[in-house]
Amino acid sequence: MAPFEPVLTRGLGRLDLTDLSVYEAQGGFGALRKALRDMTPEAVVNEVSASNLRGRGGAGFPTGRKWSFLPNDGRPRYLVCNCDEAEPGTFKDHMLLEQTPFQIIEGLVISAYAIRAERAFMYIRGEFLEGYRIFRRALETARERGYVGPRIAGSDFSLDIVVHRGAGAYICGEETAMLESIEGKRGEPRLKPPFPANAGLYGMPTVVNNVETLCCVPHIVERGAQWFSSIGPPKCPGPKIISVSGHVRKPGNYEVPMGIPAGQLIEEYAGGLEPGRRLKAIQPGGGSSAAIFEEDLDTGLDFDSLAAKGTMLGSGGFVVMDDRTCLVRAALTLVRFFEHESCGQCTPCREGGQWVARMVGRLEAGEGSNADLAILRTLNRTLTGTNLCPLGDSIMPFLSSVLRRFPEEFETHVTQAGCPLAAEQAVAAGAGA
Amino acid sequence: MTNGRRMVRLTIDGTSLEVPEGTLLVEAAKSIGVHIPVYCYHPKMDPAGLCRICLVEIEKMPKLQIACNTQVAEGMVVHTASSRVAEGRRGVLEFLLLNHPLDCPICDKGGECDLQDFTLTYGPGASRLTEPKLHKPKAVDLGPTIVLDEERCILCRRCTRFDNEITHERRLIVVERGHRSLIGTADGKPYTSYFSGNTTEICPVGALTSKAYRFRSRPWDLSHADSVCTQCSVGCNYRIDSRFGRIMRTYTRENPAVDDGWICDRGRYTFNYLYEPSRLRQPLIAVDGELKAATFDEAIALTAEKLGRAAQARRVGIIGGGRLSDEEAFALQLLARDVLGSDNIDYRASAQKYASPPRYEARLADIDDASLILIFGAVTPEQAPIADLRIRRAVARRHARLLFVGPFVPPAFVPSRHVPYAPGEIAPLMRALADVVHHGREEQGEGFVAEIAQALAQAEKIIAIHNGRDPQAVEALDALLDRLAQYDHPVGVLVVGAAGNARGAEAAGCVPNLGPGYAPLGRTGMTTARMLDAAARGEIDALFIAGANPALTFPDGALVRRALERVEFLAVSEQVMTETAAYADVVFAAASFAEKSGHVTNLEGRQQPFHQAVEPPVQVATDAQILAALAHALGKPWVISAEPAVLFSQLEKMQRPARTRSSRDPLPRPCVDDPVPVPDPASWPDGLTVIPIPHLYAGGGAAAHDPGLAPMRPQPFAVFHPQDAQQRGVADGTRVRLRGPGGEIEVQARTGDHVPPGSVLVLADMPEAPVNKLTNASGYGVACVDAATVTASQELSA
Repeated sequence: MAPFEPVLTRGLGRLDLTDLSVYEAQGGFGALRKALRDMTPEAVVNEVSASNLRGRGGAGFPTGRKWSFLPNDGRPRYLVCNCDEAEPGTFKDHMLLEQTPFQIIEGLVISAYAIRAERAFMYIRGEFLEGYRIFRRALETARERGYVGPRIAGSDFSLDIVVHRGAGAYICGEETAMLESIEGKRGEPRLKPPFPANAGLYGMPTVVNNVETLCCVPHIVERGAQWFSSIGPPKCPGPKIISVSGHVRKPGNYEVPMGIPAGQLIEEYAGGLEPGRRLKAIQPGGGSSAAIFEEDLDTGLDFDSLAAKGTMLGSGGFVVMDDRTCLVRAALTLVRFFEHESCGQCTPCREGGQWVARMVGRLEAGEGSNADLAILRTLNRTLTGTNLCPLGDSIMPFLSSVLRRFPEEFETHVTQAGCPLAAEQAVAAGAGA
Repeated sequence: MTNGRRMVRLTIDGTSLEVPEGTLLVEAAKSIGVHIPVYCYHPKMDPAGLCRICLVEIEKMPKLQIACNTQVAEGMVVHTASSRVAEGRRGVLEFLLLNHPLDCPICDKGGECDLQDFTLTYGPGASRLTEPKLHKPKAVDLGPTIVLDEERCILCRRCTRFDNEITHERRLIVVERGHRSLIGTADGKPYTSYFSGNTTEICPVGALTSKAYRFRSRPWDLSHADSVCTQCSVGCNYRIDSRFGRIMRTYTRENPAVDDGWICDRGRYTFNYLYEPSRLRQPLIAVDGELKAATFDEAIALTAEKLGRAAQARRVGIIGGGRLSDEEAFALQLLARDVLGSDNIDYRASAQKYASPPRYEARLADIDDASLILIFGAVTPEQAPIADLRIRRAVARRHARLLFVGPFVPPAFVPSRHVPYAPGEIAPLMRALADVVHHGREEQGEGFVAEIAQALAQAEKIIAIHNGRDPQAVEALDALLDRLAQYDHPVGVLVVGAAGNARGAEAAGCVPNLGPGYAPLGRTGMTTARMLDAAARGEIDALFIAGANPALTFPDGALVRRALERVEFLAVSEQVMTETAAYADVVFAAASFAEKSGHVTNLEGRQQPFHQAVEPPVQVATDAQILAALAHALGKPWVISAEPAVLFSQLEKMQRPARTRSSRDPLPRPCVDDPVPVPDPASWPDGLTVIPIPHLYAGGGAAAHDPGLAPMRPQPFAVFHPQDAQQRGVADGTRVRLRGPGGEIEVQARTGDHVPPGSVLVLADMPEAPVNKLTNASGYGVACVDAATVTASQELSA
């Protein structure tokens, strides 16, 4: 098997791909010309379906299938690009936005063509101000060169792209909350059904795709479904950008073939752990995912393998924690995040979230009790899987997984009225002085 | 198949059932008596899926599902009582109760609270919360009617969704986020909807409480009486809840065909006037020009003597009926015709001439599937609010077109089209429309005619709504609808009544030329205008006015004041002192609707029973008792029974023919006076056309004296077109004096683009500033701004 060559990040760090001529010189917009000139929209959908491309936003839903759900009833259709990347530990879309905006535009135009959308929306996380400016500039350039706007690249297909900035709510990354936000309403997930494919933006059939998903599309069009599906496991193939952070020597975004074992990613790409350190836990798919541990390092990083381990690939935020990490504190950071970001619509997330945050906060401060631990051990039954959207279901997985794997660490926080690691580190620091 | 929907078979808790496809699980379960708890779900609103209490287990689905947004599917097997479901519900209740204050002992909702009830049935017995509860604002003053307790709120959002989906006013919103969420208004200003009281009912907990009922009673201490609201002509069904003989609150009593389960705040909160000092508690007789307390017998004896003598001279008149029950309106015309031998009886104490359409009577529910709603004269948000909710739904949800024809742009919360037409020009418009529709020349009309005609021609179902004031327009509308009906357009008409039981009085024979059941008499007595005119000229000696306040509501104010001053004897039956009663020689203290039983007929002709809720004060009599006593004193005790049941059986027989006639047979029309032209503004220096406008909280009598309505009651105002205001040096908020040929009133000035230039909209039916000082019998008037009196409101208050 040929060694893996980066696809989505090719040239990044060497070439200025925000320059259209550079992007074109690398073959950019070739796929767009090919799709618009030589392929019908159905052919593009079929090619993407055949590639087994699965959504890179987190849920891993087959993209071709999502596209084929749109009803054929003559209503206008919309395509929305989800660039509201806010999952803790995930920073791949941010990079794609700032460093290869034309790839996103090309993916947007081809995908809109495939689903016959008349308008596309680019939803950019509010904090990505620089990325927003870069994208706006790129969009203007693309429009001037005829890649966006009326009769794109000499074809009959016209598309306008509307750029919409978020205002800082994590929940707006949920696709229906994003639609509400674009419509100018409070960013809160909608009740489903109806699904966006049927009643999405402004009530019209709508597809929402992640930035990375859309970036895969031009490559599938150019190089074929077969090439794409030959990368990684056949059921969830393709290149995948993993954002590695935490206790590794070389944190960063790494484009890898789907299914690469977690250990291989750490060792071969991220430079391994710091010397003398031992792995404690990994969040393989962002803040919402349950942890995997030492014994799971041979698990492949793909949707199905991680699901089998009771966690998920999610958006590919890979957070490594070594033996210095207080897992109570790590869990507190996350439950506080979800408590803060809960939109408050549905009961378990709104009320349960703040309760969990208060209990874990107490534990971390050394004021917790065994009763708190007992409650925390039961809450995933009523707090997870009972919510309107995935946010509420994200509160418990990491906490439950580390509580199950390292119960003594939590119990020690109760019995010693504080963090044992802090005490150790204080001793170590004292010894060093 | 039922109603063309496919049937779906499923199993709920072992019971197999068949329901139409699209049915929600929660409703399917309800149909077989399986109770699924809900908080956010409300059958009148879209499912929201927020509270999660309705979790059920569906076989082959890994997670628990919400019953409120899951549609039935063929072969679905549902468990609502499994241990997983119990755990899920217990979990949701545990979350809801975490920071709930548990101040149930002093909470108005205690005893009828879904949080209490579901906790008892499904909840955990004890709280596992070990830290102090989180606190939120309590006793928040949300607006003139509502107090909000944020700690009790479970954020089900029924209130905000009601304000969005039902009223379309979009004022109530959730502010903040997550567990810090609060209920507030979009603009931060007080919540002032006409429908605010409904939020206190649909609130499943004690978060939204009404100021009128706060800390007044426990629900289990209340006695209930099924009644019907008479504050407007819609006739919403409601329940009167009383304790120890005093009304504590009113509550919706859903009638899908009439009110759809809602009542407006005017209807809900108008009852505390009964307990004000201004309530009449015994009869009064004028002695040396001053009204003094008297006994019932003295008042009857004096009135019978005066009416009897005037009747012998054929110089007697009776006005009223629109605010009586059907039985009492019937008794009133019995007093006129069968006791006093006069046809001088007329319920019409305002500019309204008709309370029913001659043909094509519509039902309120006909609004629901109308494709075109054509309104002239009536201002439904102010005069028939609950009917207006149906209009809003038809427009917002079913894409009906809403067309207002009239001089000014009325308030609307849904998309509508205003077609400007001057007062008095509606009849020619209707005739022109009938003409082009008849000849199929919809495109060729002049001005707006083409536009409206095309809308009519395209409409699948047309509902016209008016106020029955302009007989020529009503006649022309009838001809127009007849044409449309010939071309197979379903058409219907609703007439918004000026008084709550206007249609009941009309149907009971309180008009000079028709007996009960619209029976033509072949003779005619005097209309209200002719009676007043005769009284003003000294040709009528005695007037009896029951449940009417013409001094405030009759358009020719100068005439009514002359008449009431001049007439030798005036007896008035009223609940509170009114502008009319102030002229009286005898005032009877009359019972309110809550204090008696009977029937009322709403604007669609639906006769609805209402039941006595509380006893009247000891010296207060029902109008039926007063009328029976008068008949007795006049020597004809057999003519009028004091018993509503006896009166109803007589009336019912006489009304049967009109009820059972074909809808294409025209109803006989009440006689009307010759039309009086709208005054020419040029006839008065610097004159503006005065257009009275209705307001939900305007009116004399009960509305003027109810402390519950006082915070919502507007100050008298007049709205000028900005150009007219500028020319006259009138600024928003200043007090101005409007002077017309018949008198002057002082009002607060406002400006608005919805006013046609050359006109001024003046709030009607305000005792402090009666617009009928400016208007003539046409219902319109002319006035100028008395420049010397323009003062800034700040100066006045300082």
